[in-house]
Amino acid sequence: MSIGTGILISLLSAAFAEKDNFAQSKNDPINHDETPKHSFIGIGIRFIIRYVKSSYRDDPFRTFLELCLVFFIVWYISRNKYKMNQTDIVLSEKDIDELISEWKPDPLSLELTNEEKEVLENVPVIDGPNGVVVNLIDGSKVVNFTCFDFLGFQTNSDIKNKAVSILRDYGVGACGPTGFYGTLDVHMELESTIKTFMNAEGAILYSQGMATIVSIIPCFSKRNDIIIADEKCNFMIQQGINLSRSKVFWYKHNDMDDLERVMIKTNDIVSKVKGPLPRKFVITEGLFSDTGNIVPLDTVMDLKNKYKYRIILDDSLAIGTLGPRGAGTTDLFGISPKKIDLLLGSLWQVFGAAGGFCCASKELISHQRLSGAGYVFSASMPAILAVTADDNIKRLEIDYPVLLPKLHKNVSLFRKTISRIKDIIVEGDPLSPIIHIRLSNDIIKNYIRITKGQDVETWSRQEENHILIGIVSEMRKGGVLVSQAIYVDEQEHSSHKPSIKALITVSHTTEHFDSFCELLEESISRFH
Amino acid sequence: MIGTLEANTQLINRKLKNPISKKSKAQYPDLSDKAISLQNDVNLLKSNKINPNLVKTIEIDGKTLSGTERTIPSGEKEKSDLEKVPIFTLVTTYLSYLILISFAHLRDRVGRFFYPSQYEFLSESNGYAPLISDFESLWIRRLYTRISDCFSRPITGVAGGHVTLLERKSRDHNKTFEFTGNKLEVLNLASYNYLGFAQSHGYCADQVEERILDNAVSIPSPRNQGGQTKLLLEAEALVSRYLGVEDTVIISMGYATNSSIIPLLVEKGCLIISDDLNHSSLVSGSRLSGSSIKTFKHNDAKDLERVLRQSISQGQPRTHRPWNKILVVVEGLYSMEGEFCNLREIVALKAKYKFYIFVDEAHSIGAIGKHGRGVCEHFNIDHRKIDVLMGTFTKSFGAVGGYIAGSKTLISRLKLKSHSSVYSEVMPVPVLGQVISTVKLLLNEVPEHEGEGQKRIETLARNSSFFINGLRKMGFMVLGDDGSPVVPLLLFNPGKIPAFSHECLKRNIAVVVVSSPATPIITGRVRFCISASHTIKDLEYALEQIDQIGDLLDLKLLKK
Repeated sequence: MSIGTGILISLLSAAFAEKDNFAQSKNDPINHDETPKHSFIGIGIRFIIRYVKSSYRDDPFRTFLELCLVFFIVWYISRNKYKMNQTDIVLSEKDIDELISEWKPDPLSLELTNEEKEVLENVPVIDGPNGVVVNLIDGSKVVNFTCFDFLGFQTNSDIKNKAVSILRDYGVGACGPTGFYGTLDVHMELESTIKTFMNAEGAILYSQGMATIVSIIPCFSKRNDIIIADEKCNFMIQQGINLSRSKVFWYKHNDMDDLERVMIKTNDIVSKVKGPLPRKFVITEGLFSDTGNIVPLDTVMDLKNKYKYRIILDDSLAIGTLGPRGAGTTDLFGISPKKIDLLLGSLWQVFGAAGGFCCASKELISHQRLSGAGYVFSASMPAILAVTADDNIKRLEIDYPVLLPKLHKNVSLFRKTISRIKDIIVEGDPLSPIIHIRLSNDIIKNYIRITKGQDVETWSRQEENHILIGIVSEMRKGGVLVSQAIYVDEQEHSSHKPSIKALITVSHTTEHFDSFCELLEESISRFH
Repeated sequence: MIGTLEANTQLINRKLKNPISKKSKAQYPDLSDKAISLQNDVNLLKSNKINPNLVKTIEIDGKTLSGTERTIPSGEKEKSDLEKVPIFTLVTTYLSYLILISFAHLRDRVGRFFYPSQYEFLSESNGYAPLISDFESLWIRRLYTRISDCFSRPITGVAGGHVTLLERKSRDHNKTFEFTGNKLEVLNLASYNYLGFAQSHGYCADQVEERILDNAVSIPSPRNQGGQTKLLLEAEALVSRYLGVEDTVIISMGYATNSSIIPLLVEKGCLIISDDLNHSSLVSGSRLSGSSIKTFKHNDAKDLERVLRQSISQGQPRTHRPWNKILVVVEGLYSMEGEFCNLREIVALKAKYKFYIFVDEAHSIGAIGKHGRGVCEHFNIDHRKIDVLMGTFTKSFGAVGGYIAGSKTLISRLKLKSHSSVYSEVMPVPVLGQVISTVKLLLNEVPEHEGEGQKRIETLARNSSFFINGLRKMGFMVLGDDGSPVVPLLLFNPGKIPAFSHECLKRNIAVVVVSSPATPIITGRVRFCISASHTIKDLEYALEQIDQIGDLLDLKLLKK
């Protein structure tokens, strides 16, 4: 706009200057020499006028067109461009000050509600190491069903001694991100151990479990790309999808027909949109942490190949628990991990260290090393934890014929023991060491009748959660530590049914399961 | 440079607008005279008859002209420093990038013609879109790879004052590396080991050992489901006491602290006003929160005020409903610039505009302030005036992870709801041990090591000012404020970036070089991180060597 008006003004002023010059030169011929600049412009204007005159004489229509063009250019440059604050209201400074003094912000954080307080106060505090039997801060000893240490690596005292010797060589933190002298030799060793164990082309290490998936999804899937995801994908996958700003379509949990329907629908939408082909991804978990189900990976692979999608598989919980070798859902279904475009695992759960990893082709790994925000901008993993993870993976590589059958035996034993309790629903796949236990509707109705003295057909999640918290704290008093599943409800994509989440490990014994069962039965029986 | 000149003349023109108008001429006759003389200067500048260095003085004149007398904050000091850069350097830098990029494109064209198979992953094939975009990949393949030997250099052992590098060589122009088996012991001017707590022996390491043997290595449960341990609560109580705040929550990763906490503070209908140069983790967190995001010019409280006035008066876009909350997000010490946040002026705005303030003290906590309590202590601001204090243990404390400190109400909500409390690991035992022992030293609560924490803080302050003054005296163009342990030195030309790194390595010094896209394209730099574990002798050696390199690479642009 400024340029356009500038041109106009300079043209006009030049024309006026010309006129002035004439006037001046008529009146005062001496002064004429002192304004060489003006007369220079004057020559230009004269030249233009002469040009216009002569061309008008030769071809009047052309002059008209040229003039139109000039005016069009001036209009084009000086027109109002789209501005971000187009809807802004013009206000005086005084009005603004008034508005500012009137404005009252919400408090930064609200006090916890009573329900929330109840949850927070019920979080147990463990004194000493975490394992299958733990000491609580009040001095009681309880059997622990909240530890992801499925293969019992925590109890290994060799690990502690090794950790101390690594501490004496490497200290604790590496004091820098991987790019800036934070890459240790032990990191590279761990990456190659993971690569061999997973039978993948390459592996990359992330220093925190949660950050792995949150940074990988936006690293590859950008705005305008397409993601189809299972509606029960864990929260961190949802966060990754949010961050990528891609278009997301959800399919019903583990429902392959629905996945196919969504794929067809999405492909249909894509084919109608012009422009470059978007990247298309299917995202699913291997073993779902929020339901305990296992994805039918073979069908997903068939569908993804048929409709030309890439797959991001979060196998965090399955690696170390499923498959003949313990290498996760790919191992379970006999699919080569190289066929999975991005395969994710965690090191903080089964392998008792920290962080996570991603297996993919070499190009995708090196792309992550420069573009994965959680990799580039974060401090690298402490050497102690890298070595612990490395040792535990190597141990699984040797001990899998003992550990995995034992784990699965324990899982089925637990399921069998618990099946004798009426009024509960046990969710998840028979192989899953994560077991969500829900109360049946009848028992909830009974409870509400007892406490409130009225019959109800519907109840809120909070009420159901409250019952579960009661059961959990009752069980803790009896010597079993278990937790109700906790979510950040207000930010989750789909709401979860309240449940008690029991994690079964190899170190649990029949007695542990029996006491779990008895305590649960006892606390439920009060509702009859 | 022509761009900067143009910008300055525009700036001056804008400031001239009022004085030149007839009304103001009547009101302030002498002012407008000054304005006219300025106009002449501008004309002179336009015709290039005047040394561009003068721009600086004109700009300052322009400021007094507008009637607001104030000290120039550091942000503008840097700008004026940057304007002293010879045109030759600027032109050659842009030219170098131009050559580099055109050469990259040329190589790609030729490559695609002769070796199409190597470029398959960049083009659509068999109905799949390429996973990696062409431009991004071009930058990495053709520019980054050329100098990739300067980055991700593997190390072994402790990243203390000295560090052991694993020597590596490439036979295929940095596509792959192989280890020679040699180990190089080099002076470490790269790690964020500000207080020198990266140690494998001594009080802290002993404490860590004890904790590992008493507990285990890790706690494989999320905080809210069986992961809350006595050790974690102990560490949180200590950190709260150290910072003088009501409560603290510890999170197992620094990056995740920012990216997962901001969504809990603000949501849709709220506004985040973020500094231009904020760290990537803050940007991720802001995006995840779903609130509107605006930025203000780096460290410029005036610009922040402008944004605040505009935002509060206009309300939310389209609907004009008032904002629910406004959160101003700043960093205490900007790690690429070595600059302190202009916190005092920003806090001064708080009373009037009622925003909440989030200070990321990732680099400043431990390293800055008389007792290492960060940028608040440095500027003598009460910690309780800051609504959300964030920091990491990665840097000064030699551990990993981060914390959020603030009011009891806020922190209990975060303990319950923070994503890492619910879905991810708690801080592992050795890291907690390190945090507890270092904070105890800083609090001076270990009788056997009386005054050690304070000594480290003082040594760091002495080392940083010794180093930065040494560089300034030699005539290098150094960014950063006095007292900052991060010292960036501008290199400009892309060729000098790897050259500096190589020359340093030849002289047994490890440094970090940074270029675009982490910095503006023109200001490629080397970043020195000073530590309390450096001796004056170490730093003298480093200065001596950098002096030589500076002559070799012609970096002393401010030399008189």
